[in-house]
Amino acid sequence: MSTLTAPRPVDPASGRGTPAPRRRRRRRLSSGYLFLAPAILFVLLTVVYPLLYNISQSFFDVGLREVVSGGARWVGLDNYSDQFGRSAFWHALAISLGYSTATVALTFGVGLGMALLFRPAFPGRNVARALLLLAWILPTVVSANVWRWLLDGSYGLLNAALRGVGLIDNDVFWLGEPSTAIAAVTVATAWSFAPFAMILLSSGLQGIPTTLYEAARIDGASPWQQFRNVTLPVLRPVSLTTILLCFIFTFKTFDTIFLMTGGGPGGATKILPVYAYNEAFKFSRFDTAAVATTTLMLVPIVLSFVYFRAVRNEDSA
Amino acid sequence: MKTTRSTLRVRWAAGAAAVLLPLGLTACGSFGGGGEADKSDGALTVWQYYGDASTPTGGPLYDVLEAYDKQTEDVTIKIRFIPFDDFNRTLLQAAAADDLPDVALINAFDTQSMADAGVIQDLGARVDEWGEKDSYFPTSWKTTQAEGSTYGIPHVADAYAVYYNKKLLDAAGVKPPASWVEMEATAATLGKKGAFGLAVSGVEGAEGATGLVIRDLAGGGTVEKFDDAAGHHALTAFKTMVDSGALSEGYLTWNEEDAKNQFANEKAAMMINSATYISVLREENPDLEWGVALLPKDKTRLTFLSAENLTIGKGSGDADAAWSLITHLQEPGVLAKYLPARNKLAARNDVTGADDDPVRKVFTEQLEEAWAPDGKLAAHSNEVFTLLQEAQQAVVSGSGSPEEAAGSAQTSIDEVLGGS
Repeated sequence: MSTLTAPRPVDPASGRGTPAPRRRRRRRLSSGYLFLAPAILFVLLTVVYPLLYNISQSFFDVGLREVVSGGARWVGLDNYSDQFGRSAFWHALAISLGYSTATVALTFGVGLGMALLFRPAFPGRNVARALLLLAWILPTVVSANVWRWLLDGSYGLLNAALRGVGLIDNDVFWLGEPSTAIAAVTVATAWSFAPFAMILLSSGLQGIPTTLYEAARIDGASPWQQFRNVTLPVLRPVSLTTILLCFIFTFKTFDTIFLMTGGGPGGATKILPVYAYNEAFKFSRFDTAAVATTTLMLVPIVLSFVYFRAVRNEDSA
Repeated sequence: MKTTRSTLRVRWAAGAAAVLLPLGLTACGSFGGGGEADKSDGALTVWQYYGDASTPTGGPLYDVLEAYDKQTEDVTIKIRFIPFDDFNRTLLQAAAADDLPDVALINAFDTQSMADAGVIQDLGARVDEWGEKDSYFPTSWKTTQAEGSTYGIPHVADAYAVYYNKKLLDAAGVKPPASWVEMEATAATLGKKGAFGLAVSGVEGAEGATGLVIRDLAGGGTVEKFDDAAGHHALTAFKTMVDSGALSEGYLTWNEEDAKNQFANEKAAMMINSATYISVLREENPDLEWGVALLPKDKTRLTFLSAENLTIGKGSGDADAAWSLITHLQEPGVLAKYLPARNKLAARNDVTGADDDPVRKVFTEQLEEAWAPDGKLAAHSNEVFTLLQEAQQAVVSGSGSPEEAAGSAQTSIDEVLGGS
């Protein structure tokens, strides 16, 4: 049996034969990368470089003088051992994790509740859903100040309402007590994130085939059993994404707490971003602030890896 | 060699790393500027955090600077307002980029750290030639000192005193307190009449420590050695006042503006606050009958000095013009008009006509007994005051005794002041 092959074109420069399709493919590839270059450069300069710069700062002794005049001294892991030896750092990390977990739980619960509520069509559904989205799109400076006003001990609406129904006699300073302050900022954050969770979960609910519910009903499943054994399992991938995104958003939240409590009272709401802000911009310790922000970056990254691994395992199963 | 997708990816990553690593390492090595000094650009830039031209706090500064601009032919002033919270950060960024303003109106307590960081110029030689150093109140002047030289000129001063509601005090049959024991008793009496006796800022951060520092100083204490009898008494006093209803527990969430609102709305019969609120109260609450008394006295009656200093940015190409502007702003005749409009007090003792107002006179008298952090404490005042506020919060909320809270704060204060 004989095989007919076309002669290979010869590259005049090298004198070697290069297949024409490969050259075209390579040219196409390089022009593709050329189009991508501006976007890649933008990401490198605005995201990657600042991140690397921040990490590098954590290995130097950087105070006010070094920021202005240069000459920062390499200190290796000294900043890390300093921060990891401070109870204030661990306190801030613990508050961050606790606040994020509680906020995500509340956000997910309320978001899922709203998604289920708005699942069946009813008059005014779209208007109500759009109104709920206001909480998500409102600038934080507005929503945080509204919450401050609502929870104000002297003039707050909450106290007025509670006093009106006879539940309290004296002013309650919700943002002045450690336990109520952390609860208040958790509710305020969940309030703004819940509509976002609702949107994600609503799209997940729409993707569940109605035939599954029909089959479940035929098998005699109650609404609760349908929810538990059909809705929740099928919604799992979307739920995981929602939880991960909400956790990342909450973990890096700064403005809500900074505006509502400033990290107080007595450090009760001093989450890691507020701790880092104080270190850098109040106390001019840019090196230890960099340790805090690097830690702040690591936690969501680790969680993302865990998440993607879980999704991959699920897909391959 | 066959070029696969994965090898291309590796090449891209290597290329990116090759570009980024030198960038990162260069950045690591320098951390900021150190470039050439500016050349004169014909404009005198002034950065301040008082407010923009439309605000009661910023307007008077714009007026006085615009007047100087008009009367001085070869000077064009460019004013930039930067909110207080962003001010130092912006100044540092500008310093790193060799783009500092000619004149920066900075918080007096930041003078030392700004001098240490090389953000502002040494004015020692100019001050010697000027020869007006002795006209300034010693406490105000002390805030301009760093590394044995002068790095700023006091712009204005402000002091804390006791505002009181005449109607509420008359109704309760009490007078403004002369001592802190009287303050606790008077505020408690007033607290039983429907309004709280006292309002003061106790908010998270340095601002919330002002009342505590004043109380500590009155007892003969010092901020550096807070864990002593005076510090314990100061913490106990605030706890006692909250427990007796003399002071609302909500003061831990109030900044000075909130304290003023409590007083203006007759929710509090007295407040410890600065002279800033004199004209605000007059304009916003014309029917409110109020007066001002000196702070209560125990061993001392020291007020907390609140002030700003005029400084010249390092590398300013218009340093001579900047110095001329600074000295102009400090002329007694200019200050006599500016200070009442700005609601501030003179930092020097030769300004006549600025304090004809009886209320301002009380503040001026109080200013003669003023305290301001200096030395290492000035450089770390923000952090130390924040620690004191946290001790106060711990005691008032009942999570620690005054001794425990003061001890814990002292450990941190020693660490902060013992460091760099």
